[in-house]
Amino acid sequence: MRVGWMGKPDTLNPAYAFLTESYIIFDLIFNPLVTEAPDGKYVGALAKEWKHSDDGLTWTFTLKDNIKFHDGTPVTADDAAWPINAVMKDPEGWSTLANYVAGFKEVKAIDAKTVRITLDNPIGNMEYRLSFLYALPRKDFEQFKTAEDLQNFNNDKAIGTGPFKLKQFDKDKGVLILDANPDYFDGPPKIDQIIFQTFDNSDALVQALKAGDVDMVTEVPQSAFATVKGFANVKAVQTPGRYFVEMIINSVAADHDPKPTRNPALEDPQVRLAIAHAINKKDLVDVVLQDLGKPATTIVPPILGGGFWHNGDIKDVEFDLAKANQILEDAGYKMGSDGVRAKDKVKLEFRLQYPSDNPLYPRAADLITGWFKQVGIKATPQSVNPDALTAAITPAGDYDLVLWGWGPDPDPDFILSVMTTEQFVEGGWSDSGYHNPQYDELYKKQQQTANPDERQKIIWQMQEMVFNDRPYIVIWYEDILQAYRSDRFKGFIESPLGIESQASLMQAEPVK
Amino acid sequence: MNRRDYLFRKIVFGLITLCIVVTIDFFLFRVLPGDPVRAVIGRNVRISKENQQALREQFGLDKPIFPDQFFDTLGQWVHGNLGISWSLRRPVGEVLISKLGSTLLLISLGQIFSIVLGIALGLFAGWKRKKAVDVGALTFSLIAWATPTFWLGIILLAVGSSLFGLPTGGSVDPANVNKTFFENLPDIARHLILPTLTFTIVYLGEYMLIMRSSVLEVLGEDYILTAKAKGMSNWQVMRKHALKNAMLPIVTLIALNLGFTVSGAIYVETVFSYDGLGKLFQDALAKQDFPLLQGAFLLLAVSVIIANMLADILYTYLDPRVRQT
Repeated sequence: MRVGWMGKPDTLNPAYAFLTESYIIFDLIFNPLVTEAPDGKYVGALAKEWKHSDDGLTWTFTLKDNIKFHDGTPVTADDAAWPINAVMKDPEGWSTLANYVAGFKEVKAIDAKTVRITLDNPIGNMEYRLSFLYALPRKDFEQFKTAEDLQNFNNDKAIGTGPFKLKQFDKDKGVLILDANPDYFDGPPKIDQIIFQTFDNSDALVQALKAGDVDMVTEVPQSAFATVKGFANVKAVQTPGRYFVEMIINSVAADHDPKPTRNPALEDPQVRLAIAHAINKKDLVDVVLQDLGKPATTIVPPILGGGFWHNGDIKDVEFDLAKANQILEDAGYKMGSDGVRAKDKVKLEFRLQYPSDNPLYPRAADLITGWFKQVGIKATPQSVNPDALTAAITPAGDYDLVLWGWGPDPDPDFILSVMTTEQFVEGGWSDSGYHNPQYDELYKKQQQTANPDERQKIIWQMQEMVFNDRPYIVIWYEDILQAYRSDRFKGFIESPLGIESQASLMQAEPVK
Repeated sequence: MNRRDYLFRKIVFGLITLCIVVTIDFFLFRVLPGDPVRAVIGRNVRISKENQQALREQFGLDKPIFPDQFFDTLGQWVHGNLGISWSLRRPVGEVLISKLGSTLLLISLGQIFSIVLGIALGLFAGWKRKKAVDVGALTFSLIAWATPTFWLGIILLAVGSSLFGLPTGGSVDPANVNKTFFENLPDIARHLILPTLTFTIVYLGEYMLIMRSSVLEVLGEDYILTAKAKGMSNWQVMRKHALKNAMLPIVTLIALNLGFTVSGAIYVETVFSYDGLGKLFQDALAKQDFPLLQGAFLLLAVSVIIANMLADILYTYLDPRVRQT
């Protein structure tokens, strides 16, 4: 099978991998103890079963039988335990995985088949964190003495336990070939070989699918999806995704250092409410996103955890220009002769900025500006270099309204962290400057709540806070767009994990 | 002045130019907006603030641009070390050399075809001025010259892959990459057809137009009339008198173009996912990979300067007047 994509892995060394493509390959050649299933639940990968003590501090995992590394060496509990220990011992070297072991006290192989993890405090998303900690052969990694040596290791002969084994990875030549692992403990995959081919041009990639040069495209550009749907022998796959686009409203504390530069009217909750009433999310999805997504409400997309974490009780502010006008009128913003409302000489004039690297934003900004005009708000759309925009936001706080997007992790922890006060620093992830001590408190609490139902309650409450305070107005959730040659392969699992996930490629088979 | 002095002077000027270009480049990249560390890691949720700082120190970005970063870089270069690419984490020299081959192949094929065809077409059109051939060639060249490279590339890609089954991307089929160059030759050639064609068409127009006007100018000269009066055939006049003189502007243009072809290669390589220098430059710029960018621009500057020197030297053969001044 040939897979065409627009990128390539930066490295096959999990200690220091940044790009999505790397994680797609890790998913196919490595195995963690537990992994996310297509329905958003966690299932055993290396682990047959696992349990935790009542206080949530001790987790015990029992491994499946007949697990072997690709070189034939049997895998014991120690092979699953040592990488976690390595990350704990050298968080600087294993920097991309270091976050996942925060709060781990000890990881031990009790016998050949049992791994025990003890924690400092209960962890709310234990399974999620473990799903990135793969069993790796000790000898490949223990040779490195310094963090830098470890990180410079490309692992281009990676050995894992997964259903596919690495045949060749040559980053320079852009070659990545995986072979089926006939000895895989859950039975071999039905696809013999996967060849990944990197394209630099999305039109060429789409053409390659049409011509049959590739059998699968992991990311079809939004603009080409309608065309791909029309191709003969091609199945276009559209599944709800995690990515969302939001309007950021400058919520930086007035006494923040440095002081935010913004229109002070944005501090008025009624103005924020009016703004929310003046955005027609459905129109934006229809017109700008060409129906390849859904109108959004909260920062936790509906597909996280199979829908478990998304607060579906939140009722969206309806699009109603008359109401928006009324709210502003009542709040004392009087219409001026120039069609712009003002109160105490503060005019409702905002910059509406967006990063220049996304063709959807200017169109969205155009529509939004039009609706704003009808309620007496003047927005000036402005395309800005993404790096310059980041600099203007953190730490300068020099912006009014910004359109931008996020691709949250499968677990809500990360996207929730974006709204915490401590993230609004240079290099931090907050771009709204939202600061709410109560929210920060809840954030810490959900991290340490091991009971999923209780954690869900907290997370729902946090979504409500963000929804009502409106540091973000989340506009749409984007679908994942993929495609494959249905005349050659069948049986893929269409899920938020993507048709190229391990679960999907274990099911897929050639068409006879 | 004899030829040796002339050459020596050209080399010294070339080196001075190189120093200036390199210095400007160094500062130019660093005044670009944005943070290279952020560019390298992207919006990666897994990198903590501490790690970002460590990366910044590892890149030497925590030091002032001048004098620290500047002289550090210069010091490395003097030792023949172009540094380590931030985004690829490999020595820059090694990276450049690994991509040089395929780009050189593409550029030289494209240039050779466009030069030979362009000159032939220009000569022919100039000779048959105002005839149907001339009008046709002129129209074609104007259109080819005005066509954006990436657009032409995409059209050729769509047509070539649908109608002729030519590959949609890459410089060689990924399944064949372990074979030797000679075993792969048919496959490499197949992958080269569309990019080379794009390259040829884009540059062909320019060469043709310059050649044509140059031929027309030469044909109006008195010595051509004299030659004809001597009873030489049209073909002899062309070959012995017109061609050599008409070639002078073309040589200049070729030398100038050699620098630009690498930037032209960026478009062609991106459209055809062709694994070469052009694509590397684009990535380096997008990722603000300063060591790689500097290395790339050093290579560019050196090739432009050498191309110009070669043109100057070639002039001394083509045009005796240059030798004597």
